[in-house]
Amino acid sequence: MVSNVTSRMMLDQVTSYLSTMIGTLAEHDPDDGDHATPGELRRFLGGLRLLKGVPFSYLVPDSRLLPLESIRFFYLDRAWTDALTQGVLSVGTITTADRAQLEAMYPHIRAEVDQAERVQRRPKDEERLEGAGGTITGFLIRSKLVSGWPNMHVRAYSRDVLPDDALSTVAESHPDRMKVLRLERLAPAVLLALIDGVPEVIHLEEPRQGIQFGVRNAPGDPGDQRRVKVRRTDTGAAVPPVESFTDTNSVTVPFRRNAPGVIDMVQLAGRLRDTAPGAGPALESNEYALQMLRFPYRQVFGDPDEVSGTRFYDLDQFAVKLSVTAWTSTVQAHLRQAQTKSEGQ
Amino acid sequence: MPPPKGHFVLHTNVMPAMPAGAYTLVTSHTGMPFSVAPETTHMTLAAPRYQMPVEQILSTFPPANAEGAFSDRLPQIVLKRRTLPWERNPAGGTATSTTPWLALVVVAEGEAELSTPAPVAQCVTPGVTLPEGSDRDVEQGLYLAVTETVKNKIFPCQQDLPLLSHVREVDVSDTELAGGDDDGWLAVVLANRLPVFDTVNAKPVRYLACLVNLEGQLGILPPPAPPEDRFSFELAQDWTVLAQAKPSPDPLVMGNFNLGGVVLPRAGTGPLGADRPSFTAARSQTVQGVTRLDGGSSMPAASVTSLWSTATAAVATAAVDLDAAYLVRDTMGRGFRYPISVVALEPVFRFPVLAHWSFTTSGDDTFETLMTRLDVGLLGTVVEPKPEDAPATAEPPEVVQTGHIGLGHRTRRGDRLRAWYRAPLVPFPTERDVPVDGKFPVAHASDQLRRIVPGGREDLSLAAAFEIGRLLGLSQLSVVSALTRFRAAQFGAGRARTTVEGIVDMQLPVLAERPDMFDLGRFVAVAVLEDISRNHSDILGPRRPLVDPGREINVDGDLEEIIAGGLGLNPDVIRRRAGAVGIVAALAQTAVPLAYEPGGLELDDNALAGLRNSLAAEVDHVVSVARPLKQRPGTVRDAQLSAPPAPDALDELLARLVEDEPEREDE
Repeated sequence: MVSNVTSRMMLDQVTSYLSTMIGTLAEHDPDDGDHATPGELRRFLGGLRLLKGVPFSYLVPDSRLLPLESIRFFYLDRAWTDALTQGVLSVGTITTADRAQLEAMYPHIRAEVDQAERVQRRPKDEERLEGAGGTITGFLIRSKLVSGWPNMHVRAYSRDVLPDDALSTVAESHPDRMKVLRLERLAPAVLLALIDGVPEVIHLEEPRQGIQFGVRNAPGDPGDQRRVKVRRTDTGAAVPPVESFTDTNSVTVPFRRNAPGVIDMVQLAGRLRDTAPGAGPALESNEYALQMLRFPYRQVFGDPDEVSGTRFYDLDQFAVKLSVTAWTSTVQAHLRQAQTKSEGQ
Repeated sequence: MPPPKGHFVLHTNVMPAMPAGAYTLVTSHTGMPFSVAPETTHMTLAAPRYQMPVEQILSTFPPANAEGAFSDRLPQIVLKRRTLPWERNPAGGTATSTTPWLALVVVAEGEAELSTPAPVAQCVTPGVTLPEGSDRDVEQGLYLAVTETVKNKIFPCQQDLPLLSHVREVDVSDTELAGGDDDGWLAVVLANRLPVFDTVNAKPVRYLACLVNLEGQLGILPPPAPPEDRFSFELAQDWTVLAQAKPSPDPLVMGNFNLGGVVLPRAGTGPLGADRPSFTAARSQTVQGVTRLDGGSSMPAASVTSLWSTATAAVATAAVDLDAAYLVRDTMGRGFRYPISVVALEPVFRFPVLAHWSFTTSGDDTFETLMTRLDVGLLGTVVEPKPEDAPATAEPPEVVQTGHIGLGHRTRRGDRLRAWYRAPLVPFPTERDVPVDGKFPVAHASDQLRRIVPGGREDLSLAAAFEIGRLLGLSQLSVVSALTRFRAAQFGAGRARTTVEGIVDMQLPVLAERPDMFDLGRFVAVAVLEDISRNHSDILGPRRPLVDPGREINVDGDLEEIIAGGLGLNPDVIRRRAGAVGIVAALAQTAVPLAYEPGGLELDDNALAGLRNSLAAEVDHVVSVARPLKQRPGTVRDAQLSAPPAPDALDELLARLVEDEPEREDE
């Protein structure tokens, strides 16, 4: 009688109950798939792993660790965030049985929450990326940059393959880029970014609010002086040296006397005409606009000595591409060869 | 051909064939033998003059009502019709001119007056009449009133104007710029003034950008002046003092304007109210008694931007109103409504305003300067106080290389100690917990995570993390309830699994290694259990009654006689003794004859056969009670029952007893 229960019965029950039972015990989420941990708990724990809701004094225990006008990079301590989730899970464990059960379930909860971390921030039109939990890095900025330029662009790259001033429009799910797990203003002037992995280079870019025209305060100049970098009038390319301001690649902006910030346009046009390579006898308004164009400024954080931009592939990423038919024919040829050889013997 | 994707082309200007205005077409015939009367047709080329239609404005920079560090960017307005800045000749006449008639003027709060709607004829400087006065798109418009000083300081020169307008041809797929535009051709009007930050008072400045019509007033524009390479923040003229005067309308109308001790700005250059309207006399009489109208050298108490924050908030409030289209425009002008033309001693000029918006420059630093001056480091870096700074009053934070920081700690006993704490943000990669024997160490209380470091101090990092996690979890009711429900479901499933494991003779699958696969064993176990409980008679067989009815004992004759006979006693002897000493003592005194004695046992074949027969009969009886099976012909059970029973343990025992007999007899 015992054998009856184990074999026939088991199969029948598997087929008949499987579909209904999945819905009752495992949570099925059309976006997230099936998980043992309830979605609400999983998402809460995933957010907590990314330090959502954790008081700021727990992140930066002393304000002198994050002084005014500073950026601080860090690794996220996984042991700390694990302790955080264990604290949540300990809620309501009263008996030894509760705790034994929690210990049994914990590896699965942990693995599922690792996954949930990745989907906390999901920008529109970005591919969904999944994987086990890995190293998380990030940075904190405490600066007027955060309050004055809301929606600053933050991009992290796994390899420094782009020139620092190159236009980059690749999606965040691109292999060269690293996913930003969390990007949030914790205070009007404090920005927290968490990055999935260890980036080689991070770009912080001025928000793009359309094409703008403007001037620059060159480093080292007094605060009440402005300069304009000239461009070649035929190609629009910048005049070297790109990094610094010299008298050959920039002009000082003339201001009207006694008038705050009023630019003497004619004088400025004259100076630009004299300095910009390829300028004609008169600087038309379109050429003038070309000179005055200001592109968003991009600050690059990385190793300035690392210029090779070499990209290494992991061994498991290496794959020989061969069509199936070619492969089969090769194998069959070898088999035939071996067969004839053995028959000959 | 449109520009390639991601590119745009800049053009100097796009001239209309004819400027806007009323035209008369005269058609005449010549060379005919008779005279033909010329035919006259009237035609109007319409263009905005006093108000820019909203659909012609694509975008503005800085965005309306925005706050930010705009001090290095020229404000601009993008217009959709490419010919708009050249559709009128600012000098008048029917020829087109490369000098645009539109200019973007940026005024700071307190420098100029933006009017309330007024008839368009009053929107230009008194004395100036625009040609073709009937050519007006609206009846009432706004105007910007500026004193001569302000005009000379901030208005563009005539020579600047062609440089301030250009045409941009963008790729139409570039949606950010060409949202809704048809051909991708746009006209751009730049301002000539940087909306600089008030570095003197270190205060945000609210600016108003006005797209003004320069028609007929080109001559008023300031002449070119020798430039300087530096600028300083100083309002061209500050009329915010008028906000303190709070004049009621009556004195304004009646002409005796009481400024109440307010110092008016000094007219820097130009004639002091030489040809002011008749209003001047009455006003100066009143005011001069208070203070010198033109003598105030500076404005000590003048708060440049006292109104900026309230105005910005007011615009935001107006934007949600039902009447937003009107209210926002109106509220943008707040802070620019000082009755300058009433009190100023200099000539006041008016320019029609086609569009206006306000914004606030809230910082002097640029993105670039701030970025390059950022203090970069790993978390845990403490900036050394510069020697020129004031000596630090507090001790520097106690930070060690591991990222720990020493913090004051009050123990539960009340002792004041110092403990180590390390935030989750550490300056180097850390190890995550690794499973021990496939199990992760799980803490159930924060005290489990307290560590004593070799120095003797406690490291409370993980304990603090545990505790804040517990509190965060407890703070959300939904999380607590989800956790409880989850635990209950898991607990029930685990119990069912254990039960089923006891029933079925099969290794149930363990929890899947991959977390994306569900736990098959758990579901099967639950399903099996549920099915067993529903159809137990089919799966496990009929249910065994909890209590069997007792077997009826057939006693023939006297019960005492039978028991005594069974024990080999004589009942009569016992009864007799009982009469003397009582039944209990009689039973105690009576020796029970033993069937088997160590000395020697005599069991003959007859006795053994009787014993076996009675035992077999008894077993049959027990079986028939215990298994009251329905007789179902053809089933396996029937076949098993009908077949001679296989020898069981009792049979083996009896057989061994029989086999042992001779051996014992041999002894």
